[in-house]
Amino acid sequence: MTPPEKISATTLTEEETKAAAKLASAWNILVFDDPVNLMEYVTKVLQKVFAYPREQAEDLMLTIHTAGKALVWTGAREPAELYVQQLHSFQLQASLEKASS
Amino acid sequence: MMKVVPNVEGGLRIEVETPTDWLVLEQIAPDALKMEKESLSSRLGALMDEVSEWDEMVVPELRDLFHGQLCCVRNIVREARKASGENSGLGLIKISEDDGPNWYGALNQARIALEEYYRFSAAQEVAEIESFPPPKRSAFIRSQFYSALQSVLLEHVID
Repeated sequence: MTPPEKISATTLTEEETKAAAKLASAWNILVFDDPVNLMEYVTKVLQKVFAYPREQAEDLMLTIHTAGKALVWTGAREPAELYVQQLHSFQLQASLEKASS
Repeated sequence: MMKVVPNVEGGLRIEVETPTDWLVLEQIAPDALKMEKESLSSRLGALMDEVSEWDEMVVPELRDLFHGQLCCVRNIVREARKASGENSGLGLIKISEDDGPNWYGALNQARIALEEYYRFSAAQEVAEIESFPPPKRSAFIRSQFYSALQSVLLEHVID
């Protein structure tokens, strides 16, 4: 069996350092409007994925519908990716963007 | 004209009455597979950056999920048609509460694909729809039916 390799900060490449910094900062989840998903469905998905109350989910859905997109959640990269994965599994167009500091 | 009725188990019952009804229901999976250029799973992840390795980690899972939804619906329709007898238009399709999300997802895939393929605008005038060539017109009508069935699923089956 191969012993675990020791990793120190100095062994990180510039690319890895950038990636680590990217993961540590805050991220926004955006959901985009599309011509197919029903408004009621988008509301239910937002309630299910983020456990938002009905009213908040409905407000976000209306923003998506009228403005073309809405910021639905902000936080760490890792949970944000899991949320986006769930939104995609419900066939909603969603993406991540780095939150401005 | 088929009827869609909620049942006491929390699901739906589709009462199929004509051979055309069967054709429409059998068309859900082929319509969903009309998406030519890029699969839905890849397209949803198009805005994700390279750090996430979305294409390697998530897209294959989504592809399996979406494929599973289509298989579920296709098999249920196929079995129901077989049970109804080949020459009869009459038949019954049961959508259980558990299968509700699969049906909804499959119908959504079909509508996304039809929208992308035929470019229906959000609000179509009746005159404009009547001027569509027959394949586009029938696709539009199917898309409207899929949407109506999704609404019933949302109201009665899906939490």
